[in-house]
Amino acid sequence: MIADERRGLIWWGWVGDHLDDIWQRTVEHVQLTAIALVVGCLISFALALLAVRVRWTYAPIRRVASILYTIPSLALFALLIPFTGLGMVTAEIALVSYTILILVSNTVAGLDAVPASVKEAADGMGYTPRRRLLRVELPLALPTIIAGIRIASVTVIGLVTVAALIGSGGYGVLIEDGLRRSFPTPIVVGAVLSVTLALLVDGGLALLQRLLTPWRRAERGGRELAT
Amino acid sequence: MSTVIDAVQFLLDPANWTGPRGILSRTWAHLWVSIVAVTISAAVAIPSAIWLAHRRRLPNVSVALVNLGRAIPSFAIIALVLPFSIRFGFGLGFWPTCIALVALGIPPMFTNAYSGVAETPDHLTEAAAGIGMTGPQVLRKLELPSAVPLLVTGVRISAVQIIATATLGAVVGYECLGTYIVAGLARGAAGRPQVLAGAVLVAALALLADLLLDHLQRRLTPWNTQQLR
Amino acid sequence: MSDVTKHFGDPATPAVEQLSLEIRTGEIVALVGPSGCGKTTTLKMINRLVTPTSGTIQVLGDDQMAVAAHELRRRIGYVIQQIGLFPHRTVGRNIAAVPELLGWDDDRIEERCAELADLVGLERELLDRYPAALSGGQQQRAGVARALAADPPILLMDEPYSAVDPIVRERLQDDLLRLQGAVHKTIVIVTHDVDEAIKLADRVAIMNVGGILEQYATPDELLRQPSTDFVAEFLGRERGLRRLALRTVADVETITGPCVSAGSTLAEAHDAMRTFGTTWVAVVRGPTLAGWVDRRAIEHGEVASVGDLPAAAFVSRVAPTTPLREALDVIVNARSRLAVVVDEDEQYLGMITIDEVAAALET
Repeated sequence: MIADERRGLIWWGWVGDHLDDIWQRTVEHVQLTAIALVVGCLISFALALLAVRVRWTYAPIRRVASILYTIPSLALFALLIPFTGLGMVTAEIALVSYTILILVSNTVAGLDAVPASVKEAADGMGYTPRRRLLRVELPLALPTIIAGIRIASVTVIGLVTVAALIGSGGYGVLIEDGLRRSFPTPIVVGAVLSVTLALLVDGGLALLQRLLTPWRRAERGGRELAT
Repeated sequence: MSTVIDAVQFLLDPANWTGPRGILSRTWAHLWVSIVAVTISAAVAIPSAIWLAHRRRLPNVSVALVNLGRAIPSFAIIALVLPFSIRFGFGLGFWPTCIALVALGIPPMFTNAYSGVAETPDHLTEAAAGIGMTGPQVLRKLELPSAVPLLVTGVRISAVQIIATATLGAVVGYECLGTYIVAGLARGAAGRPQVLAGAVLVAALALLADLLLDHLQRRLTPWNTQQLR
Repeated sequence: MSDVTKHFGDPATPAVEQLSLEIRTGEIVALVGPSGCGKTTTLKMINRLVTPTSGTIQVLGDDQMAVAAHELRRRIGYVIQQIGLFPHRTVGRNIAAVPELLGWDDDRIEERCAELADLVGLERELLDRYPAALSGGQQQRAGVARALAADPPILLMDEPYSAVDPIVRERLQDDLLRLQGAVHKTIVIVTHDVDEAIKLADRVAIMNVGGILEQYATPDELLRQPSTDFVAEFLGRERGLRRLALRTVADVETITGPCVSAGSTLAEAHDAMRTFGTTWVAVVRGPTLAGWVDRRAIEHGEVASVGDLPAAAFVSRVAPTTPLREALDVIVNARSRLAVVVDEDEQYLGMITIDEVAAALET
């Protein structure tokens, strides 16, 4: 691959010509990420609620989620291909799998961190278990949950680039294109846009967390679990 | 399901295991680039982290590194390194992959090493200085030993990530286990069994590595009661 | 409660055993005892946070099992030691919690919150702050306000004042008594502090390990006649003095003592002094106490009546509302070994000595 000596790393002309393409990839990338996150959140919250109510399920859930997380992305995509073919469905199934570990861990941790006295007071006042969960426990667990969503989003956005290799679109297509044609510009564009998207989403969620939790003004924002 | 059957047959055929393009050789290539990357990462990340942490300098670098490292897709790193690698004469395959993996491996090692040293309780370091220990002595006798669990965890996290991501090296021409997947994809429907076989191999290697390193970590630092993942 | 028993998994070691207790409307009952005596468990069975293993509990005439648990609890106020204010809601919204559950409209809720804030002694501005911004004592008050928000007939309190410092605790206890005067709830308090129980409760239930009810009586009766050795030991020493804290001077029969009216002659004053063996005599002008006059002034006086002599003010004086313990302190410190009793209009009501105080304790 020969880097274009004259044009350096980024040939802006190319960028100008391919704005439509770039936009299309952006839409694809955002779509893939959004679906993965929404589905991931739904599944993870359900699993987390189960893990909190029926304690012994937490360890097995974590074990499975952990295994899925350890499998390299390209391999996970490839494992699904014989069953779900190439394209978006395969990508989504794998992407969702990657979110489960972090989302379940953070949600359970967040719910566990709700002080026992608050829960007892709520029961004593006559809150039904469902109301207690919705109105008391979840709001208080929110910072930790959102911290998990932030980590999951950034991870997914990065993984979507690999999904391009199995034909699901996104910025990875630009990167692949550049590799194939020995042309650095699309690679740089794909990488920079991917990082920008990640930083935007992360920042946006951080802001959302601050807005939703006015009672934590003075405290450090949400503790993140490292995996 | 024929794909699955074919894939199984592929894996069971001993011819596929031997030879320069065989499973064994590719597995070794996969591990080799990982080992080199882990070593270089550690050599870069750990001493600098320890030195900075001892002086309690640049704490935000640690956090920023982790966030950035997570945000930049590994695929993009590998692809970006390639033109530079060629320009500077390192060619395709091994070096772009290795350099990208080093970039990937540094953040967890750096952050954990930094935390391990920097989070030695202040009252302990003050007490050590109080009884007349010099700076380097405090580092050697107090901060380093207490940082070992986190250090080891950091190396483990990096190593697992590096082994997993080495798979993508196939995209820039490095012949490792990922090549089965990439080459298979390129051949379309005919290559499907290979893709599946490759995927199984990669997954198996990654999981095995994770298990072994976890075990190793527990052996090395049995007193570490922190969350290991 | 009838024959209520509760065990957590092991029938051989019940937390509460065959407990039968009756709590009357409008009274404050304290459950006291050492740890493990099941007092908290008993309290929690009233609002079904704990379900009895056997036995029945009737709340306001209805079997507590007749309604859903959460319905029952919305009609019973509950205050715990760590308070448990919702950190994510302002104090005002915390207090409004049960009314919201019951579907009150916003105006009524707002009014009620303001009312309660005044009632429990919480500044109104605090209603818009978050719990983290309040001091321990303020949080406690907010907790009580929250429990009373929907005006429940019953209030349950589990070691409500154990987590605050003694000065604040005393103030909160006084506030509770004042509150009860205003709202007349049926209150059940769990405490490990016998003195707190004696101070606050109309009746005290002393419980022993395993939920055994040792004695259930008014504080005065408990102190006067502990029914078992356990109770006596639990109450500790100085029972007599503590009973004094429960009564006031009004309970004591006063004596007239050496006292003459302002119009009496010096000779009459002299007689009074001799009858009672004192070196002074008290002077009253009509119903009002004027003061006392020294013997020497009487003997050497050249006036027509006692009222013309200058009278000195009494130092050792008590009112009918003075707690007996305080009165005893006054008596013991007085040179004359007695105290005069006067009401707020300076009306003379008699004198009391140690003998009269002791006699009051015998009843």
